[in-house]
Amino acid sequence: MSDAEAPDDKAGNLAPDGVPTRRRVLVLGAVTASAVVSIRPALAQTAGSVMTCEIPVPDAGRAGSFIADDGSVVPAGTQGAYPASGRPFKGQEVKQALAGGQLPGTTWESNRAYVNYIRRLQRGQGGFTCFASLQMPRG
Amino acid sequence: MIYCAPPASALLHQPLDAFTAVFHRSSGITHLLVPPAPQILATLSVEGLSRDALLERLRDEYDLADADPLALTARLDELVAAGLVTQRAARA
Repeated sequence: MSDAEAPDDKAGNLAPDGVPTRRRVLVLGAVTASAVVSIRPALAQTAGSVMTCEIPVPDAGRAGSFIADDGSVVPAGTQGAYPASGRPFKGQEVKQALAGGQLPGTTWESNRAYVNYIRRLQRGQGGFTCFASLQMPRG
Repeated sequence: MIYCAPPASALLHQPLDAFTAVFHRSSGITHLLVPPAPQILATLSVEGLSRDALLERLRDEYDLADADPLALTARLDELVAAGLVTQRAARA
């Protein structure tokens, strides 16, 4: 089999003498037609909900406990620890706190304890998914 | 106006029956294209072509059923809006 007999459907079929017998037809379409549909990444669509998701400090299972300076959860009344936050923090608030800002309604010290608690969150704990979402890079 | 395609490494192409899915790495956006958009993208180079030069290239390569420059402009505008094609002023 020679190369000339090899199928070549890139530029249409070639007759033995090399003359194209069929070329691909292309339609540019009407001016108002559309040839492109863009699918935005799911992450971009969820960006809004990431910023409004909530992180309770501490999570519901340990509600009422105090938060120590290093972010660990300690029994209520522990000396030097801070009471639970009155309300969960929004993703946006946590993002700002992680960037050096301060969580609303906190003092410098309790903010540090709460941020340490949030940094120590692990899979399965309330607010972990929200915290993990905040770590994802966005283009 | 000169229309330029991104470098080949910036895109991933996957034919899907009547569509061609094109993943644009830098934006993370997937585009579903129908003809003539994939053919236009394939014909444009990184260096770019004017609309009229592109029309000539397409005419060389295909049987154009409707070689309407305005329709080609509309297709190019779509590709520009999608971020798959960039445009720059032609050098004088």
